[in-house]
Amino acid sequence: MSNSVAKYIFLFGILLLLHAAYSAAQHRSYLRLTEQEFTALPADIILQTIFSLLLTVYGVTMVAGDFKEIRSNIDLQKKTWMNLNNRPSFYIFNHRGHIFNPMLLTRTGTGKGALEAN
Amino acid sequence: MFSKMAELLLDSNIRFWVFLPIIMITFLVGILRHYFSLIIASQKKVELLQVQDSQALVRSRLLRENGKFLPRQAFLMRRHFFNSEDMGYFKTQKRAAPTTNPMTDPNAMTDMLKGNVTNVLPMIIIGGWINWAFSGFVTTKVPFPLTLRFKPMLQRGVELVSLDASWVSSASWYFLNVFGLRSIYSLVLGENNAADQTKAMADQMSGAAMAMPQDPKAAFKAEWESLEIVQHQWALRNVEAELLGITSHSKTD
Amino acid sequence: MASKNKARVVEKNNGEVLAFSEGAIRNNAMVVEYCRTSMAALGGAAAGILGLTSLYGFVFYIFCAVAIWLLLLLKAGPHWQKYFTSRSSLLSSGLSGGLITYVLFWTFIYGMVHVY
Repeated sequence: MSNSVAKYIFLFGILLLLHAAYSAAQHRSYLRLTEQEFTALPADIILQTIFSLLLTVYGVTMVAGDFKEIRSNIDLQKKTWMNLNNRPSFYIFNHRGHIFNPMLLTRTGTGKGALEAN
Repeated sequence: MFSKMAELLLDSNIRFWVFLPIIMITFLVGILRHYFSLIIASQKKVELLQVQDSQALVRSRLLRENGKFLPRQAFLMRRHFFNSEDMGYFKTQKRAAPTTNPMTDPNAMTDMLKGNVTNVLPMIIIGGWINWAFSGFVTTKVPFPLTLRFKPMLQRGVELVSLDASWVSSASWYFLNVFGLRSIYSLVLGENNAADQTKAMADQMSGAAMAMPQDPKAAFKAEWESLEIVQHQWALRNVEAELLGITSHSKTD
Repeated sequence: MASKNKARVVEKNNGEVLAFSEGAIRNNAMVVEYCRTSMAALGGAAAGILGLTSLYGFVFYIFCAVAIWLLLLLKAGPHWQKYFTSRSSLLSSGLSGGLITYVLFWTFIYGMVHVY
């Protein structure tokens, strides 16, 4: 199901819930004005409340975002070998390359490229 | 008794002029505080020296744990780099002890001040204002019976002896909102928001403090000691024989 | 970034080793938390509209918790093992967390609808 449909379901459920709340408040004030004892809400308000609650929560669960698979090999499958080969603990910056400094200036250093690949 | 007390009739103007405004004010103040703290928050500056220290500690720990895979000479060479009496890293690097008094560190001062401005001040001001503007109303009733012990908690500002304990006064309704709306903030603002202060505290404890040692001098000394007592046992001493043994073994079956 | 790629390794009884991605677990927990907080708020509102008092309200909370559990399983689909390690802990872990939110919204809507 697409995300926008779920959003409309959620909005519709909220509106239904608010309408049920308004109906219940009206019912209570009607009972108070006619001086009747409150026993229970009319069945249609109860049904509407529960139905709209389930509708809204269904919308929320659809909106909330997708689950990711928790097995880590699913995650790792998408990575390229270049990514996995990049081990920050093995970076060496203090190497003998600086003696060949003019040569290094002409081409990009491998250490820098590995840093940016991260 | 309970059903009798439920007959207490409240003016319905209270609903729209006291009950609803309090919950709206509490919620919106929480949102405002979130954005305000985003504005004045300062990026925590990491000093180069601190990063260097923590990286040295990490390297030393790796050497201690995985040094058995190195030849003896290579291990000793690396340990010499850290622990040598006259030129070892842990011996020669002199770090000043951290300032124990936060008053002398201007950065910590401003951070403390900002924390107070965003957390404590609104709490006092809004709480005081609500107490002043909406004082003395009985606003609502919790829909479950409570014992008399809850009376001082729920009926602050309304001292009526005969009132049932499940009625809530306006000041207490504000405090109920402050505590109950916390998870709603994380719903509206996303995780790790500033309106929820408890989460930020936990982050501070786990994240920043672990990476940066508070006192590099003490950490160096501890690391020096534990590196000094490591006994080097080369794990790969018999590697050729073991490899050949395994291969010949697997060939037989 | 570094902590996101960490894996948690669990060894099962039959010796099979499973590695779980820490970042994916946290993502799923966040989604579940989002649904649960919404459910607590909406369920509290519904309980307030229905005018439930005392014990009925708390029974309704249990009903809501079971409903959100079923909906989460419905969302996860038939292969829930791909997303969660345990089904029963998905139900039990969130029971106490949303109760404060539930009670607040229950009290709020009950006050708005039934008290005045």
